[in-house]
Amino acid sequence: MSIDLEEPTATASEAPTTLVVTKKPFKMPRLGWIFGTIWLVTLSFCALFAGQLPFIREYSAKVKVNGRAKSYGWGPGWNAWFGTDKSSFDVFARCIYGARVTLLVGVGATALGLFLGGILGILGGYYRGRIDRVTSIFVDCLLALPPLLLALLLIYRLDDLEIQIWFWKVTRPWEITITLGILAIAPLARIVRAQTISLREREFVLAARSLGAKNGRIIFREVLPNVVPTMLTVAFTGLGILIAAEGALAFLGLGVESPQTWGKMINAGRDDLAKAWWATLFPCLFLLLSVVSFNLIGDQMARRFDIREAAI
Amino acid sequence: MSDLIQASARDLSGPLIELTDVKTHFKTARGLVRAVDGVSFTLERGKSLGIVGESGSGKTVLSRSIMGLLPPKAAVRHGSIKFEGREILGLSRSQMRGIWGSEMAMIFQDPMTSLNPVMKIGRQIAEPLRIHLNMARSDAWATAERLLTDVRIPEAARRLNQYPHELSGGMRQRVMIAIALACGPTVLFADEPTTALDVTVQAQILDLLGEQRRDRNMSLILVTHDLGVVAGHTDEIAVMYGGKLVEKAPTRSLFANMKMPYTEALLQSIPKLTDPSHTRLSVINGRPPDLVNPPVGCRFAARCLYTQQRCREEEPPLVVTPEDPEHSYACWYPVGSPAYFEAKARIPSNSTVEVL
Repeated sequence: MSIDLEEPTATASEAPTTLVVTKKPFKMPRLGWIFGTIWLVTLSFCALFAGQLPFIREYSAKVKVNGRAKSYGWGPGWNAWFGTDKSSFDVFARCIYGARVTLLVGVGATALGLFLGGILGILGGYYRGRIDRVTSIFVDCLLALPPLLLALLLIYRLDDLEIQIWFWKVTRPWEITITLGILAIAPLARIVRAQTISLREREFVLAARSLGAKNGRIIFREVLPNVVPTMLTVAFTGLGILIAAEGALAFLGLGVESPQTWGKMINAGRDDLAKAWWATLFPCLFLLLSVVSFNLIGDQMARRFDIREAAI
Repeated sequence: MSDLIQASARDLSGPLIELTDVKTHFKTARGLVRAVDGVSFTLERGKSLGIVGESGSGKTVLSRSIMGLLPPKAAVRHGSIKFEGREILGLSRSQMRGIWGSEMAMIFQDPMTSLNPVMKIGRQIAEPLRIHLNMARSDAWATAERLLTDVRIPEAARRLNQYPHELSGGMRQRVMIAIALACGPTVLFADEPTTALDVTVQAQILDLLGEQRRDRNMSLILVTHDLGVVAGHTDEIAVMYGGKLVEKAPTRSLFANMKMPYTEALLQSIPKLTDPSHTRLSVINGRPPDLVNPPVGCRFAARCLYTQQRCREEEPPLVVTPEDPEHSYACWYPVGSPAYFEAKARIPSNSTVEVL
């Protein structure tokens, strides 16, 4: 092996070398995450200012054909970009309004998961021993339960309980947020714990300890800032999954009551798929693009922060 | 509060650190690893001590034992460690916290990993000041800037706002020293502070440590595997082998009159500038002893060139040389004794090469 390697260098040094132009292999620029960011920013902007933007119909405005509301009256076209649905509402407008609930539930659930999972992961990973065992068992239990079943049970239970704290009533959107947040705890807690375990053995943590830093200080100043990139990366990847999960719950009839969501639209339109494909396809497309966008951004962050895929 | 207790218990006349038969063993799957196995020495206030030994001789574990920075569950510790006359071996972590930083500080081998990558330099220096000395933010930053100037970092004010990755290795080690010096410790542990740095920077860092030690009247424990590093920078040298102290002497006395064949071998393994080129480097054959089942007798016997029957059967005690009461060694047939010359005459001069 070493002889093979030596030969070309020996000849190269003897003969006058000709200039060799090495061609760089063409590398596709990674456009995925840029697309994802543009999509999500545009969608959030439209959803937020849906009432003010002129090209989005009002939520409850029916698109009439010759003055009469007609079920699936318009296909995709100039009158209604994405066509109209069974009750002659504009599918495009409903897709945009649906993003409000979907994004809010997704972000809320992820924030809840990050908070609770982060606490469990850091405590378990930093203190190890008994605390680690207790938190790990809790996380393992969460992982062991089938997520859809757990979600159904939790939402029904929360429906029955009708919790009211001060003047904050736990309504359906909140129930879904809490449920999905609990489902998000386990993966986040695991990765945070793994990261914390590797960080606590690092020399700068020992150095901080040798200067008399207390545990709380080490956790907040030394460990936590180093875990944040990982947490955010996993959160972004998880957000896509949570949005899809919200769609699945809505599809099963456990959606939000009042405003429309993508999952509910898909559920409502699927019976008439042959007659009016647009009422189902466009919400599906919105859901797909959003999930893919979150994933692409998550992947880019993982590359940027050099986080192993296997760990996620 | 803890400062008051410390001040009252302080014994300023006696030695700063006094170790008596310190043992640190680790429980592992293979058995009990005797990383430090009965070490005793004293360190006077303001003096510097070099602990020398090869990898696995227990020098790092010894320094961390004194600091109390070992994992509490795995380590089994015996003996007595007195700091300013106060026993600190059995103290809990929260009790040690009053000593860490303000009384004892440590700098580590690799400056690349011992600074927090996501915290600005200034904050890392200011933090111990604010915790231990209750300084206000602005005071702490001013002190941090002065400390950086003390450790010869140019443009100190600008560095405070930089992150560790923006500095070079030598610069980072200077920052580590500044952090360790921040609260004015009485003793500084430097655990191979120059191993990760190149030779010119090494010399600068060692000079800086010596200079700061004199300026602050601080004690220094310099842990290294390189006799050359400690030669010019410490008052005393302790040579460790297999978890035991095998020779301890004032630096001058050690180099002039070394007794332990291991010390001699260590010194000979340093390449000399005066040697002609392509001279075989003399090495110490074999490997360090297994610390789970240490050999009977002298632990160096298996690798020593002058081994005799007695070395393999009886463990030599630490004895004092007749010339210098501060020079002690653990060897049956020390360098310079008649038995040593006898053994030396029997071995061919190039034996170290042949055993390879």
